[in-house]
Amino acid sequence: MSTQIGRTDGAPAWSRLAGIFEDRLSNIPVLMVLGAIWLFFYTRNEAFLSSQNITNLILQIATTAMLALGIVFVLLVGEIDLSSAILSGVCATVVANYAVTSGWNIYLALAAGIALGMIAMVIQAVIVVFGVPSLIVTLGGMVVFQGLLLVVLPPEFTVSVGGTDYAEIASADVPTTVAYLVAGVVWVGYTISRWIHARGSSNDRIWAGVLSLVIGVAVFGGVTVLSRADGLPLPVVILGAMLIVAAYVTTRTRYGIHLYAVGGDRDAARRAGIPVSRMIIYSFAILGFCAAIAGVVDAARLLSVSNSSGGGPLMLNAIAAAVVGGTSLFGGRGSVWSALLGALVIGSISNGVQLLGYSPEVQNFATGGVLVVAVAMDVVITRGSLWPRRA
Amino acid sequence: MPPAVPPSADSATTTPFLQISGVSKHFGGVRALHEVDLDLRRGEVIALVGDNGAGKSTLVNVVSGVQRPDSGVLHVNGVEVRLDSPRAAAAVGIHTVYQDLSLCDNLDAVKNLFLGLEETDPWWRGRTLRRRAMERRAREVLDSMSVRLRSFTAPVGGMSGGQRQGIAICRALVSDPSLVLLDEPTAALGVSQRAEVLDLILRLKEDNRGVLVISHDLKDVQHVADRVVVLRLGSKVAEFSRGDYTSSDLVAAITGAHEGVA
Ligand SMILES: Nc1ncnc2c1ncn2[C@@H]1O[C@H](COP(=O)(O)OP(=O)(O)OP(=O)(O)O)[C@@H](O)[C@H]1O
Ligand SMILES: [Mg+2]
Repeated sequence: MSTQIGRTDGAPAWSRLAGIFEDRLSNIPVLMVLGAIWLFFYTRNEAFLSSQNITNLILQIATTAMLALGIVFVLLVGEIDLSSAILSGVCATVVANYAVTSGWNIYLALAAGIALGMIAMVIQAVIVVFGVPSLIVTLGGMVVFQGLLLVVLPPEFTVSVGGTDYAEIASADVPTTVAYLVAGVVWVGYTISRWIHARGSSNDRIWAGVLSLVIGVAVFGGVTVLSRADGLPLPVVILGAMLIVAAYVTTRTRYGIHLYAVGGDRDAARRAGIPVSRMIIYSFAILGFCAAIAGVVDAARLLSVSNSSGGGPLMLNAIAAAVVGGTSLFGGRGSVWSALLGALVIGSISNGVQLLGYSPEVQNFATGGVLVVAVAMDVVITRGSLWPRRA
Repeated sequence: MPPAVPPSADSATTTPFLQISGVSKHFGGVRALHEVDLDLRRGEVIALVGDNGAGKSTLVNVVSGVQRPDSGVLHVNGVEVRLDSPRAAAAVGIHTVYQDLSLCDNLDAVKNLFLGLEETDPWWRGRTLRRRAMERRAREVLDSMSVRLRSFTAPVGGMSGGQRQGIAICRALVSDPSLVLLDEPTAALGVSQRAEVLDLILRLKEDNRGVLVISHDLKDVQHVADRVVVLRLGSKVAEFSRGDYTSSDLVAAITGAHEGVA
């Protein structure tokens, strides 16, 4: 018997360090880009990194990040979606119709909107599973949902949700003490699970300690920075909860492995007995869920739904966020955190441009440039060399 | 036709693990398999040789549940079975290492080893993956086959051909199969990696598993196989036992030279 894995035994310190971070580098490029952007705006105007502006920033990106999270699930199985942004507008409108116009209980109305989002996405997924490329199916879906939005809107093409339970979704706060308590539970739970898993390997133990520290700072720091007078804004809590559940599901469950397997090699997944078609349908259903939530949060923040709900740059921003965050367009690579990090990059640019009073086209140039640069960095890192492969 | 070699006294007394009887398979007008009979026993390495298009992969596909034969029956431990999916074959203890390895390049070795067979906590503990248990078992299996990896957590896409082949074969062991089918496991490998894989095959045999290996390399075949079965144009044309044949016998059977002189 021989031990094959003793890669760090007697190795020099630098390679030991490299060993710890090996294979865990996927978020580094986007973090570097984000750091550079923040540094740039901060040096121009210190208010950029004020607690108030960061809270603003997160509220601005919440919709994009939620939608991008759903898109990550679809990208991971090697598909793409163009219809979810406009679908989010449809769902938000349906919820507004029920909750505001018809006076339903807000939770019931929400459930109806979520169900609509998931069903609409599953229908598209079934067509995809039958072999029509998802690019085409969801392009068609996008147009259909645009029509559907006009159908579900009232004749005046807008529903105001100001002053209702609906608007509370964006304006409510979770009391700071409760937020700290929940953050504490999450952090302790995370640390314990990391530690249990790490037993036995010194590499893993070091990594567990580092991660636990980072997560602790992120969670408690996040709550501190993002709290406003009455507590933590509800959209922040919703986004955080969605991310944590998604992170657990994708990295700690059998479903998560199968998700990556389907994106990595469909034939291999099928031969291993993984229900590939079902996994694709699940991913679209999750996107439908995320789209509905994103739409409702957006409408609650803007205090109305209208024929422009889910329109504008939302769709492209959400896809760009997922990709900038490091999720591969080709399937099987990426993480749910890329949704948050990518949305932060894109949101920081527009927030900073507005803060500094630059003209709007600067934002377009910067966002487009960052998209290409981030993906290029990812390609270079994946390939391990700066130059294109020959032949 | 050379006379079929009688089975050795030892193997004649035990029921074969898998009996293939009268299996035929057509693709349109192409006769891929014609009335093929073959017995496979535990602890025995059988090599399947033949020219391109002789029907070797088709036979493996039939046994691994990927393709259904047009006619013929399969018996596992004397009981007739229908293998209409890879799952059904796995359930009776038949595992296949495909020619393309069927690994997910984006997943690490442990995840590939357990793909589709992951161990999880019971539902009341959230069905969380039992990663440590799987890692421990992976280490055992890889150790037992002397597959050397630099990292358990690196994607297998970046590993060498021999390592990937090793992982693909070890994947077969996680489910503890009785019979392992290998479709051209050495075709894409260099000299030392080829030797490693041949070693793995002998180790499977030592573990008292049956092995059916397809190969075009007659040296490899002579090195590992207890019996060599020759397919030609879909029919079984010869079967040799270890030591009872020369390379030229094999070549003659593969190319059909015997038919000419007979
Ligand atoms: N799915 C298929 N559809 C149509 N014909 C097929 C199919 N699979 C195999 N055949 C035909 O059946 C015959 C046997 O093919 P098979 O793949 O079993 O050969 P093989 O012995 O594995 O050859 P090789 O050494 O090239 O791998 C060939 O003539 C092939 O063209
Ligand atoms: Mg073949």
